[in-house]
Amino acid sequence: MQFFGGSEISPSPPAPTASGNNGHMMYVFNRNGVCLLYREWNRPLRTLDAQQDQKLMFGLLFSLKSLTAKMDPTSAVEKGNLGMPQLPGQGCSFHSFRTNTYKLSFMESPSGIKIILVTHPRTGDLRESLKYIYNLYVEYVVKNPLYTPGSPIRCELFNTTLDQYVRGIS
Amino acid sequence: MVREVSESCVDSLLTEMVACYCNRFYANKPELAARRIEAIGYQVGHQLSERYTMERPRFTDHLEAIKFICKDFWSELFKKQIDNLKTNHRGTFVLQDNKFRWLARMSIDPSTDNVSPLEDITSPTAESKAAQAMSMHLYFPCGIIRGALSNLGIPCAVSADISNLPACSFVVRIKA
Repeated sequence: MQFFGGSEISPSPPAPTASGNNGHMMYVFNRNGVCLLYREWNRPLRTLDAQQDQKLMFGLLFSLKSLTAKMDPTSAVEKGNLGMPQLPGQGCSFHSFRTNTYKLSFMESPSGIKIILVTHPRTGDLRESLKYIYNLYVEYVVKNPLYTPGSPIRCELFNTTLDQYVRGIS
Repeated sequence: MVREVSESCVDSLLTEMVACYCNRFYANKPELAARRIEAIGYQVGHQLSERYTMERPRFTDHLEAIKFICKDFWSELFKKQIDNLKTNHRGTFVLQDNKFRWLARMSIDPSTDNVSPLEDITSPTAESKAAQAMSMHLYFPCGIIRGALSNLGIPCAVSADISNLPACSFVVRIKA
């Protein structure tokens, strides 16, 4: 019997190619709206304090999720009222939006972990990259015996691996 | 066909076992918690060595038994051998695993920029707490080694050193 099951981290998905470091900032929220992680790589202008910023971001995601599910023209399921919380994975969900100055990519896991990555507007589809970041979260945070679930992420291994990966996203 | 156990499952089980003994059963008695965790490791090592030496002839000396732990036993457990073995030829052996699987994901962030005001991660208490938590996870593998060697007729004491993570050195002192 072996204490082994091959849970090595899968190789990084190929990131779309362009030049320079395109990652601006990243948020990780749990299902209760607690911001577990906020990382910043390129954010010259900050207009809000951290707590307001995180509340606003979580509120935006909540509203956008509700709106996209409500507007879904293909689903015949009873949609409930706008703003009604949905289970992770339920209904349709957006994965990104783009403005003239940035692109916001979003992913939610079945356990309610939300990963938000804000990048340069010309960045390509980052769904695979977000999955990979979630994989890093599972490997280096969830499996870290020193981490208490629900508390802010303070795992050096996760932070360094994440930094390295996001700097490579283009 | 080799039977395998999910690594994630074992990792979680080990984490939970240590957490239970340290935070619930013996919350205020870390020495007792350590002893219990080591005792569980001892039983596991004892049984595993019985299983992995089934087809082997008896070991002629201590070094042969230690080499078995470093190569075959470690390979069965972690699909890799011990990276380095040293001895002083007076009953002390140092087994070094350069990337010990059960420590590979263990880390805390030493920086202060993302610390809550209530808890300073760089304070000596927080640092020593983290070190203590890490060392608690080493009593189980130490117990496994001690149990395996004990079953091979070698009574010993086993301790661990994690001064340069994720490398881990296990010091085996054979009792005369």
